[in-house]
Amino acid sequence: MTATLAFASLNEISTRLRNREVSATELIDLYADRIERLAEESKAFICVDIEAARGRAASIDKNFDDELPLNGIPYTCKDLFDVKGLPTTGGSQVLQDNLVHKDAEVVKRMNQAGANFIGKNNLHEFAYGATGENTLYGTPPNPYDPSRLAGGSSSGSAAAVGFGLCAAALGTDTGGSVRAPASLCGLVGFKPTYGRISTEGVIPYSWTLDHVGTLTRKVADTGLLFDSLASEPKTPVQTSLHNLTIGIPQSFFFDRCDSEILDSIDALMNFLRREGAILKPVPMPSMEFTRTVSLAVQMPEALSYHNRYLEQRGHLYSQDFRAGLALGQCLLAEQYIRGKRFIETYRNDMDRVFAEVDVILTPATPVIAPKIGVIEVTVDGYAEPAGNAITRYTSFFNMTGHPAITLPCGMHSKGLPIGAQLVGKHFGDEQLIDIAQQVESDYDFELPLPDLG
Amino acid sequence: MKKLDKQTLIGIRDQFGSYAWDDAEISELVEPKLGIITGFQELLDQLEVLRKIDLEATPPAGDISPK
Repeated sequence: MTATLAFASLNEISTRLRNREVSATELIDLYADRIERLAEESKAFICVDIEAARGRAASIDKNFDDELPLNGIPYTCKDLFDVKGLPTTGGSQVLQDNLVHKDAEVVKRMNQAGANFIGKNNLHEFAYGATGENTLYGTPPNPYDPSRLAGGSSSGSAAAVGFGLCAAALGTDTGGSVRAPASLCGLVGFKPTYGRISTEGVIPYSWTLDHVGTLTRKVADTGLLFDSLASEPKTPVQTSLHNLTIGIPQSFFFDRCDSEILDSIDALMNFLRREGAILKPVPMPSMEFTRTVSLAVQMPEALSYHNRYLEQRGHLYSQDFRAGLALGQCLLAEQYIRGKRFIETYRNDMDRVFAEVDVILTPATPVIAPKIGVIEVTVDGYAEPAGNAITRYTSFFNMTGHPAITLPCGMHSKGLPIGAQLVGKHFGDEQLIDIAQQVESDYDFELPLPDLG
Repeated sequence: MKKLDKQTLIGIRDQFGSYAWDDAEISELVEPKLGIITGFQELLDQLEVLRKIDLEATPPAGDISPK
């Protein structure tokens, strides 16, 4: 069993399982060994459940069902997802004893598809933050440079896949918390159309903005997971890059961006032109107040959920999160409702944009993975909090609810991955994944594996 | 719009049935010293700009349905 298999795509692993070239038990042994060696370094896990996974693997091997699309595939999930028999901690001291007795809907669907759960991933406490810093469980580092962040809030999910500790992971994306860390770690991050994948049994951060998403090595793997997780799965449309109309935002999404990231996106755009795609500059809604709108909605919603724990356990929250909840307490109801009405205007504005284009292309992030502990990052002389920078290009699409996928498209001279983001139409998830898969397979770029020593 | 002061937030806490935030946490919202929340006044100023924009009858965003 080689390390190469630990970094194989979900599709490759599935094929080898079906051809009986590897057993589900051998796969669990492979990942268990890697988790034992790399758990401390990666800080990817809050808990692992290897013995239960071994038991399931033995059953899978005994009577392998070729009909199950994810049979024997080891996966993990962010510790916001309920898994029967395990505590859901939210990465917080507050819920250390929160033993649950029912699987989240997506965990149930993964298991029904034959996937084999192996552990729960670290995160920014209750998903409040994009750096993935967690005082209780540590800060997951980037597999390409351990002095840098994996990114968050699905930090452990990104580290688990990035360090080769599982084949795929589930995360949540409220402002880019799947797509951004996936991109910073050289993975594929996907969030569906709002509501297309159930959030039942997942600790909420903001009901208006939360999406369940996936972190994988390849786009095709995302498609496999989506087919099992989504409501109303449809047959993917066969889309050609030829004559595909790709919107390029005229403002905001290329502003204050690392020059090497811009160069990589330029190179990708040139490839798309050569493939016959039509690149069309598109005016976007004003982004001037989008962060304000997002905060006006998310902080009261977060407070409303966490109010159930504040009286008895308020002292167990991190100072950081308590401050955010206190802010949520001091906003007016009309400000919250107005925020939700602005979100509706953003959706209407984007419907007009999508009447002209099939997808939109942006960089995934304006910066490469920041150093761990850095408070602010500076691009073009403008400093901003690291967490804000990481999600600057992703968070708008949580408000509009469009499906979005990030995929690697280059390497920075500092040895960190660079990602692109493709955004599709509402309920165009399958088409978006199909387009991203063609880009991935035809574009002449191969991401090197991280050097983990 | 006047600048937010601590007494207003203490009034919300004590008279609106709010969770009992510490005085220090309330102070941090209006006079940040720890750098945890640094932009509450700016957020309120921006919300005031948004309040003056006529959204006509636009409803709050809800679920998204296939068109």
